[in-house]
Amino acid sequence: MKSANRELLDRLAAEYVLGTLRHRARRRFERWLLSPQVGAIVKAWEDRLAGLEPQLAPVTPPATVWHGIEDKLELRKLRRRPAARWLAIAASLAFFVMAGILLTYRQPPDVPQLARTQESLLQADPQTIYWRVEVFGDNQELELHVQNTYDLPAGKAHELWALPEGGAPVSLGLLPQTGEQRRVLTPAQQAAIAGAKQIAVSLEPEGGSPTGAPTGPVLLVAPLSRV
Amino acid sequence: MNRIDTLPPEIELAQLLQRCAAQDSVAFRTLYDKTSPILFARLLRMLRRRAVAEEALQDVYVRIWQRAAQYEMGRGRALAWMVTIARYCAIDLMRRERVMLVSEDSLAEIADESAAEAGGLEKPNNFDHCIEQLNDNTRKCLTLAFVEGRSHDEIARLTVNPLGSVKSWIRRGLLALKECLSAESQTT
Repeated sequence: MKSANRELLDRLAAEYVLGTLRHRARRRFERWLLSPQVGAIVKAWEDRLAGLEPQLAPVTPPATVWHGIEDKLELRKLRRRPAARWLAIAASLAFFVMAGILLTYRQPPDVPQLARTQESLLQADPQTIYWRVEVFGDNQELELHVQNTYDLPAGKAHELWALPEGGAPVSLGLLPQTGEQRRVLTPAQQAAIAGAKQIAVSLEPEGGSPTGAPTGPVLLVAPLSRV
Repeated sequence: MNRIDTLPPEIELAQLLQRCAAQDSVAFRTLYDKTSPILFARLLRMLRRRAVAEEALQDVYVRIWQRAAQYEMGRGRALAWMVTIARYCAIDLMRRERVMLVSEDSLAEIADESAAEAGGLEKPNNFDHCIEQLNDNTRKCLTLAFVEGRSHDEIARLTVNPLGSVKSWIRRGLLALKECLSAESQTT
């Protein structure tokens, strides 16, 4: 490439990254981005100008933005990907072993795919979500996602509660400290969620509350909202 | 508040992006929760109007999902990659949203920011030294363009300078910045 061309290309790349290359010139330049050579020049400018990035306080967007993204990408259809299904099988196998001992568990064959119906974000402030809780179908299943780790003292556990209106809290089990978990709820838990507008997290002894009611401090309370 | 403490760890974001590339929508949601407040703040800075910034944020994450496979670990920092997508989306939207108004407080805000310690995103080595070598006008023009997404015309109006001067300050400023940064990286 002639050096005059290379200089022009470098100048266009710089103004493309800076943002002052506009309109048709910007569109034209974007067509060249497929070339690895042009891509490398642009990347070099992106690295250089990254120093101009301002420091801004984060602003949490409204929930409607996420729902719009989900719709545009049809993400709901992607739920139960092969990997997720495999995890679900592994989880239900483990559950089976446990339930076999208790002789109470009956798994209906071919559970139909459930739609996500409710969601709750357990957070201490708008910027820090600790757990995201999703309810599926007619409250049959629960999915728990750890977003940020909530400090846990040794020998303690985080327990999740449904707070039915006008009733006592009902345990939804212990919260995971990492990753995601999906659970099938008992009829009692399903009824509790059906009557609850809020859920809460309390600090309990390892293994969960010995009494069936929250014994430790309530750490987080969050609304349960329809999606 | 120190931004560095509140930024999600890079390695985690890079891993989430890799899972997005494998069509993992759970990872995508986590990525969204961790990064959308940062990108939304950045879009608001450029687009100013909340409704427009919300629309842009949707476009940004649609692009992130679709291009996650193009993100190469180790090639660049994950958050910087996402912020760049957000900036380009905002610039594209500005083309349609010609109603943008030039705000008088922009210059004062810009002055505040350049004085602030930049946090979070990694700067090239010696960036501060090199940006200080530029004259005030040039620095102001580059910042207005990059941070706010202002066009040549808008910068000329905002800074009350002839359009020709603005264009040449920007052109020469970019060149000077490149030379300074490459000279510094060779000596260090």
